Amino acid sequence: MKLPKYPLASSDRMMTFEFVSEGKKGLIHKLVKYQPTNLKGLYNLAFGDKAPETGEIDDKVISNNGDSEKVLATVVATVYAFTDKYPDAWVYATGSTKARTRLYRMGISKFFDEVSSDFEILGELNDDWETFKTDVEYEGFLVRRKL
Amino acid sequence: MKVTNELKKRKTPIVKIDKSLDKFDDKILFPEKLEKANEMLKKIGLPKQWTTK
Repeated sequence: MKLPKYPLASSDRMMTFEFVSEGKKGLIHKLVKYQPTNLKGLYNLAFGDKAPETGEIDDKVISNNGDSEKVLATVVATVYAFTDKYPDAWVYATGSTKARTRLYRMGISKFFDEVSSDFEILGELNDDWETFKTDVEYEGFLVRRKL
Repeated sequence: MKVTNELKKRKTPIVKIDKSLDKFDDKILFPEKLEKANEMLKKIGLPKQWTTK
């Protein structure tokens, strides 16, 4: 992607990624985790702030570090890295709050032109799946790499 | 700088492996999120758009 993003570190198996957000509130360590769900091959994407001292993760905190676009671009970059490693994986994402899900939707919409050539994206709406449209408030998102 | 520009255009990022992150791989760090995802899968199931081809 052409948008600026933070350098990424990952675990050996590329299930956990870390980056450091740099903004008006200083340095904030972020963790992105791909968690296996009950369905084989489908992973839940979750991310939140990591307290460097304790290693504890908070996925509800609103960092407000003034770099949300760069943070989202970096999270999208982890989806590229993860699906490069696991091309058959399906990734589900939803926010921990409605506001955060909305932020995800806005993020996907912003990057849609770039990512739609590499990914198929579905939106979760009223207990069903539909092809992602940029102007719909979805409850969750499911993506997979175009093969 | 040609190399720098090429790196900026890359969609797949360069990722540094940090083995200190391995300990998180098998930990459920976001239990509420995972539960929400599993409940959604139970209720809605997989998308027919992707499973009936």
